[in-house]
Amino acid sequence: MIEIKNLSIDLDDFFLRNINLTIGDREYFVILGPTGAGKTVLIECIAGLHRIRQGKIWIDGNNATHLAPEERSIGYVPQDYVLFPFLNVADNIAFGLRQAKYPKTDIEEKVKTLVNLMGVSHLLHRDTRSLSGGEKQRVALARALALSPKVLLLDEPLSSLDLQTSKYLRLELRRIHKELGISTLHITHNQVEAEEVADRIGILNMGKLEQVGKPREVFFYPESKIVADFTGAPNILDCDYCRTVGRGLTEVSCGGLRVVLPHDGGRVERIALFPRDIYISAAQPPGPQVNRFKGTITNIKSSGATVRLGVEVGENTLQAEMPHDIFEDMDLTVGKEVFLILKLRRIRVFEGKDSR
Amino acid sequence: MFKVLKGVGGERAFNGATISALALLSIFFVGIVVSLFTYTDWNTFMSALLSHEILFAVELSVATATVAAIISILIAIPVAYAISQTEFPGKDIVDSMLDLPIVISPIALGACLLVFFNTPVGAGIDDNIMKFVFAVPGIILAQITVISALAIRLLKSTFDSIDPRYEQVGRTLGCSKLEAFLKVTLPLAKDGLIAAGILTWARAVGEFGATVTLAGATAMKTETLPIAIFLSLASADVEKAIAVIFVLVIIAVVALIAMRKIIGRRYPI
Repeated sequence: MIEIKNLSIDLDDFFLRNINLTIGDREYFVILGPTGAGKTVLIECIAGLHRIRQGKIWIDGNNATHLAPEERSIGYVPQDYVLFPFLNVADNIAFGLRQAKYPKTDIEEKVKTLVNLMGVSHLLHRDTRSLSGGEKQRVALARALALSPKVLLLDEPLSSLDLQTSKYLRLELRRIHKELGISTLHITHNQVEAEEVADRIGILNMGKLEQVGKPREVFFYPESKIVADFTGAPNILDCDYCRTVGRGLTEVSCGGLRVVLPHDGGRVERIALFPRDIYISAAQPPGPQVNRFKGTITNIKSSGATVRLGVEVGENTLQAEMPHDIFEDMDLTVGKEVFLILKLRRIRVFEGKDSR
Repeated sequence: MFKVLKGVGGERAFNGATISALALLSIFFVGIVVSLFTYTDWNTFMSALLSHEILFAVELSVATATVAAIISILIAIPVAYAISQTEFPGKDIVDSMLDLPIVISPIALGACLLVFFNTPVGAGIDDNIMKFVFAVPGIILAQITVISALAIRLLKSTFDSIDPRYEQVGRTLGCSKLEAFLKVTLPLAKDGLIAAGILTWARAVGEFGATVTLAGATAMKTETLPIAIFLSLASADVEKAIAVIFVLVIIAVVALIAMRKIIGRRYPI
């Protein structure tokens, strides 16, 4: 368990302001934030790599605020893994065990268990510089776990991997976490990664912890514009009516907007849809009029390659996004009537605060 | 004018100019060595090379340079680490001060040392602890004074190239600061350490200015290889001087080949 109370720190380029956070036993906690938010500084503070003058940190019930890194019982996997290039895979994993003067047979046994857990037993005698990104990540994880630390700190563990490996390793991280039951703090700037692995998420921005909650809570109930923007500024609609229409579909009503969505569970409390998943058409689209609405453009905002439009539909104003060149071709102006088409499969559903 | 040099023609002209400069300089150095060969009478050369005096000079130079290089590296390791990896007030000033021995003439450094040993503190050390002035320890001290700055500069660039996160990971794996330095940073710096050792040793072997000022030029007593050249030329014994020059050239070539083999051989960080 990690407890952080009123932690503030000022470094040259980064800072943290009054961080209060508790990460429970066996919890997988993800700090999500943009580049420069102070995520790495936070993890380094917990690892004991910065002198703390304001605030306190407890690790597993012990006040670790002023303890040296070697006294904290933490497993730390820095970004890019930082494997020792002068040692092979087995010696990297055994480094901490040798440092703690474990008997040779125990070291061999423990290394064997760890490489089996990480699925890298075939790499034992390899030079670490010849490993792929995914292999390096596993070896770094094995090295960090060798001393059975009380908490595991992962600094952007998947950011330097290709998408496929990253997706696979997300599952692996969850599996290893489940198997070992160790409190884990994982930092990332990738919202999808955070949602997939986290028990709870904390959004960090400009050194400040903006919101802490379960991934779907943070997504559907952003407490500030900063949090909403960071999660992709989705359109979030409260549902006042909900009925199952069969074949895995549910119809909901959100402020007069009747939306059909793929859902076959409990009552839908909120729905969300990213602006990029709403199409705009100047003419009425043909076919069944499901999830198609007529509205009036209330504002137009250009940002880079895309244009964002606010469209008033009944009681709601939906944000839609389209590429700049298409916007130019359509000759859209404020006050013009348009038709909105919601992408059925992209609508996200929130059943209630107890659901994950 | 530069407009004319655009395109493929310009690229060729540029490459031609730089390669010509390289060729000219190479010809200059090769010419010097060739002139040595043509000037040498090989019979007298061999007898000069195997003379008691030259063998003494080789032995003294190798011994003093080895001791001086070891001491300099041992001093330079913590100093270079401090400058590279820690922040303290006045760091830039200290860093610049440490470069002074590189840019100041070695004779001036030797003269400074001589002046120091004429002060009450220096004289006390020289009389009661260890004799430096006109003695072999003086050679070592003069060499250390000249080469330690070079050792610090070389090791600083080695430590600069080591990501501090290696040491941080070592700390989280149970190492104290000293243990992390010894078990993580030093192994990472191994090539830089060896390269710095070789270069400073070769520089110490060739050191003349500070040595002759502090330790003097006494044949068979403080006669290192450069001093042997000086004494031979002073007594118009050119054959002996050439023999010593060849020994110095061989030492330099071996050192540079060893350096080339080591640098870039292992982990580029």
